[in-house]
Amino acid sequence: MVVPRLSVLSREEVETIHEYALNILEEKGFLIKHRGLIERLLEAGLCVEGGRARFPRDLVIKCLEKAPKTITIYSRDGEQVFRVGGDNTFFNPGSAATKILDLGGTEPRDPVLRDLWDFALVVDALDELCFQSTALVPMDAPIETRDFIRLYPILMVSSKPIVTGAFEKDGVPRMLEILSVFSDQSVKPIAVFDLCPSPPLSLSEIASQNIIDLAENMVPIEIIPMPQIGATAPVTILGSLIQHHAEALACITIAQIIRSGAPVIYGGSPTVFDMRYGTTAIASPESLLLTTLYIEVAKYFNLPTHAYMGLSDSKEIDYQAGLETGWGVLIALLKSVNIVSGPGMIEFENTQSLEKLVIDAEAISEARSFVRELLFDQEHLAYSVILEAIDKGNYLTHKHTIKYMRKELTHPKIIDRMDRGRWIKKGKLDIRRRAREKVKKILEQHKPNLPPPDLARDLKQVINNLCKQYGYSIS
Amino acid sequence: MVGVEELLEILRKAVIDGDCERACSVTRELVEKGVEPDVIVREALEPAMRVVGELFESEEYFIPEVLLSAEAFKKSFEVVRERLLKKSFRRLGRIAIGTVRGDIHELGKNLVATMLTVAGFEVIDLGVDVAPEDFVKAVRDYGVDAIGLSALMTSTMVEQRVVIEELERRGLRDCVKVVVGGAVVNEEWARSIGADGYARDAFEAVHVFKKLLGVE
Repeated sequence: MVVPRLSVLSREEVETIHEYALNILEEKGFLIKHRGLIERLLEAGLCVEGGRARFPRDLVIKCLEKAPKTITIYSRDGEQVFRVGGDNTFFNPGSAATKILDLGGTEPRDPVLRDLWDFALVVDALDELCFQSTALVPMDAPIETRDFIRLYPILMVSSKPIVTGAFEKDGVPRMLEILSVFSDQSVKPIAVFDLCPSPPLSLSEIASQNIIDLAENMVPIEIIPMPQIGATAPVTILGSLIQHHAEALACITIAQIIRSGAPVIYGGSPTVFDMRYGTTAIASPESLLLTTLYIEVAKYFNLPTHAYMGLSDSKEIDYQAGLETGWGVLIALLKSVNIVSGPGMIEFENTQSLEKLVIDAEAISEARSFVRELLFDQEHLAYSVILEAIDKGNYLTHKHTIKYMRKELTHPKIIDRMDRGRWIKKGKLDIRRRAREKVKKILEQHKPNLPPPDLARDLKQVINNLCKQYGYSIS
Repeated sequence: MVGVEELLEILRKAVIDGDCERACSVTRELVEKGVEPDVIVREALEPAMRVVGELFESEEYFIPEVLLSAEAFKKSFEVVRERLLKKSFRRLGRIAIGTVRGDIHELGKNLVATMLTVAGFEVIDLGVDVAPEDFVKAVRDYGVDAIGLSALMTSTMVEQRVVIEELERRGLRDCVKVVVGGAVVNEEWARSIGADGYARDAFEAVHVFKKLLGVE
């Protein structure tokens, strides 16, 4: 059996990158802006000077070994089990968009909490999206509630696990309180939390508090270094890779110091700092290559992986959006990235669109079809079938064709393969309009996967308790 | 012997090339030759930065090159600054600028500060991670005409509103114009928090401040 794969670095090359990253952590260290965390690191034997914690390489290597190689995540109802690690790939929508593009809309607008109900429902209906994400930042909710309140609509309509993150210092305990309505998050986690170091090589006060709270509770942490190639990281891809790896190593080590065996996922969100506009291009070839490389480094250490792929820097759902999303999801699958965040997103990870989400789901399905297992058995080599059919001149009605045509071949619904006559008859719909029809159909027909009434009641109560001090409540 | 005209040309080129060391030494040479500081600024430093601005707009110059030129400008300007102030060189107005509390990003803020200086404003740079009280203090103590608030992150842009609220609370809001900027900030946000203006980049910031202070 063979599977199409993409491979770049040799063992020696990965080790070179690793060595340099260890050197940086040992010589220069990691700037930490949190007294409590600095004290924890001092206790663990690190040397801290001027806020910079220097990591002895032996400690980093030991901590790397303590990190689990597979992380198990559960659905809200506890029935489904997802093993994050190895060659599994789970896609979820790009998270925390500050804008949404309406169906058929041209100007993105501020998302509101109501939008997240529809969004989560569509994600629930799309099989290609294995996880939910707290995809929209609801601008109609008080700013202090915007991280945790996003969980409410999602937990009400879908049982899929959630990729999320806290915006506030006390965000993690609040969000864990909400998730704990369904299960003990230390035992059966139903969410993964993003944790972003600030390049180059520092950890903000909020991120420091978040990593403490997450590791102490043994909740899966997605570590997301965000090098901006050329601005907050070296202009060369390999230089940025070393910095990326050093930041990931520092966070993995910190998590293990706080609690041995804390579940961590090696992720990232590299971008190119566009030298002309000062924008951060997330779908640039350089970002994709750096992602490919850090995934390789992470897999060398058998760690679970994450990446931002399957999104676009385009302002519209256009050719550019398709191009950038397409090669993103294909590379993600070729590299077996375990958790992939991005679908639905345009404009540098700022704007979510349900139409694009539906198109992206199909892009994932097509890419999965490319990155398939090729079985070298008699059935698939089809030698005898060839001999039998040659004289007839075609294979169409051969039982081998009938048996395999639905299994071997894709039959996309959004991607267009019609002849022109049929396409005109069906209304000459472009891809965005075809996607729009599907979104509308899902919103009309898909039944939300509601939690049991008693848990729904508890959930609402917990949320409203947390909202009370901000004079806000959900009805 | 190199003439004054030639030295001014060398200075212009040094600033455009982002050669800080050379720009400073030529500026000092000009001062020693007795050239008036305002001539150095008007004839060399300002026109050079205008060229840099044009090169940036036409996408010939990239941001790092603009930053190097801005640095060359700033350091050369510092050489003549004291003498300028003594001669009560006319400035368009006094502006305090800083990155808001919780935010340590200074690239954009520094560039805005430089371009405002280039345009002829007196700029007081409050630095990064600036508390609302410190913006208030600048308004009260330095008698500034306007303040600029920079924020890069969605989590810190809300601080721009806090500064405006703080100014209102102290009864100082009407004494100054407030301009906001930063990667995540837009016109709509500026309006919603009651700022007087929004600028997309350092070059636009100059126009916005000029317009608000009526010196365009």
